[in-house]
Amino acid sequence: MSERETRLIRCFASVFPGLSVDELRSMNSESAGNWDSLSTVTLAAVVQEEFDLEIAPEVLPRLDSFDAFRTYLHRLSQAGE
Amino acid sequence: MCVGRALQVDVIYKMKLIEALEIAKRPVAAAAPQMRVFLACGFTPLYLQTFMAAHLRLLLPEVRFIVKTGLFGDLVGSVERLDPSSVDSLAVVIEWADLDPRLGLRTHGGWKPMDLAGIVKSAEETATRILRALTEISSHVPTVVSLPTLPLPPLFATRPIHAGFLETRLHCTVASLAESLSQQPGLRVARPQQLGEMSPPTGRHDVKSDLTTGFPYSLHHASSLGDLFARMIHNRPPMKGLITDLDDTLWAGIVGEDGVDGISWHLDRHTQMHGLYQQFVASLAGAGVLVGVASKNDAAVVSRAFERDDLLISKDDIFPFETHWSCKSESVRRIVQVWNVGADSVVFIDDSPMEIAEVQAAFPQMECRLFPKNDYQGILDLLKHLRDLFGRSIVTEEDSLRLSSIRESGIWRDPSQFAEVSSDAFLKSAEACIVFDGGHATGDGRAFELVNKTNQFNLNGKRFSESEWRQFFTDPDTFIVTASYKDKYGPLGKIAVVMGKLQDKRVHLNSWVLSCRAFSRRIEHQCLKYLFDAMGANEITFGYQATPRNGPIQEFLTGLLTGPPAPGARLTREQFVARIPGLFHRVEGTVHV
Repeated sequence: MSERETRLIRCFASVFPGLSVDELRSMNSESAGNWDSLSTVTLAAVVQEEFDLEIAPEVLPRLDSFDAFRTYLHRLSQAGE
Repeated sequence: MCVGRALQVDVIYKMKLIEALEIAKRPVAAAAPQMRVFLACGFTPLYLQTFMAAHLRLLLPEVRFIVKTGLFGDLVGSVERLDPSSVDSLAVVIEWADLDPRLGLRTHGGWKPMDLAGIVKSAEETATRILRALTEISSHVPTVVSLPTLPLPPLFATRPIHAGFLETRLHCTVASLAESLSQQPGLRVARPQQLGEMSPPTGRHDVKSDLTTGFPYSLHHASSLGDLFARMIHNRPPMKGLITDLDDTLWAGIVGEDGVDGISWHLDRHTQMHGLYQQFVASLAGAGVLVGVASKNDAAVVSRAFERDDLLISKDDIFPFETHWSCKSESVRRIVQVWNVGADSVVFIDDSPMEIAEVQAAFPQMECRLFPKNDYQGILDLLKHLRDLFGRSIVTEEDSLRLSSIRESGIWRDPSQFAEVSSDAFLKSAEACIVFDGGHATGDGRAFELVNKTNQFNLNGKRFSESEWRQFFTDPDTFIVTASYKDKYGPLGKIAVVMGKLQDKRVHLNSWVLSCRAFSRRIEHQCLKYLFDAMGANEITFGYQATPRNGPIQEFLTGLLTGPPAPGARLTREQFVARIPGLFHRVEGTVHV
């Protein structure tokens, strides 16, 4: 597991406490009953602060799963290299 | 709920949101006391709620906090509709948009010059409504308030470098609101200067978040405000005593080497900061803080130094002086013993890192601070830190009496030094007078303070939050009796509090405290006599609980009950009369039960 993914898991765990790492990694807004609009906004704020980046409002609706966040962060890091 | 002193948190802690979420969601013991905080704000509370809960958890880890919020966009309505019995504490965050929505960014109400006077007038009317609502609710619920922290939008016609009439009038409205609120007894207003140090104004507003989510604060500002509110809600009791060094601390120079005229604390000698320290310590003494001196010095030389008439603190403000060549920790031990306070409520100040280390090793729980001589900013920062440790909302008459009564208490510890040798004879000669005030009042700040800070003669160590205190007296059977004391050696002020319930001539004591300054005077016997005689009780039950520090009351009750006390121990009038020693006080008092 990459250092980036470990940090992302911590972000998810802070918003969705009590879940295992595997459960967090497979999370998405449709399957998780407790993933609501407040969770989305909070998750975005945590990720922005943790990774020192700014998520554009129009991107936010597409960040609806752990995978989506992981892919988003991966693309950002590639764009920055 | 326990309101005892938690860790000293005066350091600006930049908590991240992820940390706040983790802290706020830490599990709490099932039996943990609960505190319900209502957060009233006009915007979506989002992370402010999270940060406030997290900072409260850091201050009081053993308490389960529930931070509730009201309707967004209706700050005043949320406060006006609040049921006081549903919360233990109220936090109110006022922003410009709460005074008039056009002072925020989320409405298009118009900023034409012709609109501006109306905006200011509307803000004034809302401020009046806020004042009325907060005055009412704060008489029932402890309330903390912050006034607008965000910058005003550029609505005024003047250039940003220029404060025009209407904008100035708007600031006056807020200042006037703050002034009125700060005079309400159950309400505390956040200090803008402190918030400015924690969160500089330019980094507070997150415009994107304000417009996209309705939450106007940057995460850092939300954390700072949450921290400030948590500390105001917690409102920990102030420290009790300050022990200070002299050379290169209270004054610049070594008095034993430089001579009495060689030491200084003045601008022209570049030693002004020592004068400010003197002035500050004198102000602490005036507010009832115990001040002692521990200095490796010749006592006679120090005594001559304190005769200098330009000294900014009087020797009468200090007791005791430990000026000799023994180690500092021994001096500190003696001072703490004379004051009869816990080392954890005392601060030690010295310019020598070695002395600091030596005292800290002897008293790990004591706050030991290096006096940063020659560091102007460092000394000012120290004074600010000390103000945080010793600051109090009100200064009572008892505060000004504390030092003199401790000075006189030496007489009580060793009455044999006087002509009267028997205890009874000595007590008779003291010409003591006790004034009892019995009733049902909840607004006695001194009684609240005594119950929450007394450790030794304390029936059970029970502490009260402000809301618990008010709640206790909602039962019509409850009573509170306070006792004030004076004798020929001077007044002690209000030194005892008895609280309980009276039903069918039976008194159940929930709380009973007696200041350690008032020991050895049989005031405790007189308190019980008052309950039997003035309140007509036939029997008293004691809500006793042993604590690590309430040995004195345990000893007293053991003598009176002829055995170690247990929770619910009983004492009848007949038993009391049979065991009471001679009482020689003149007793005055009222009972309104």
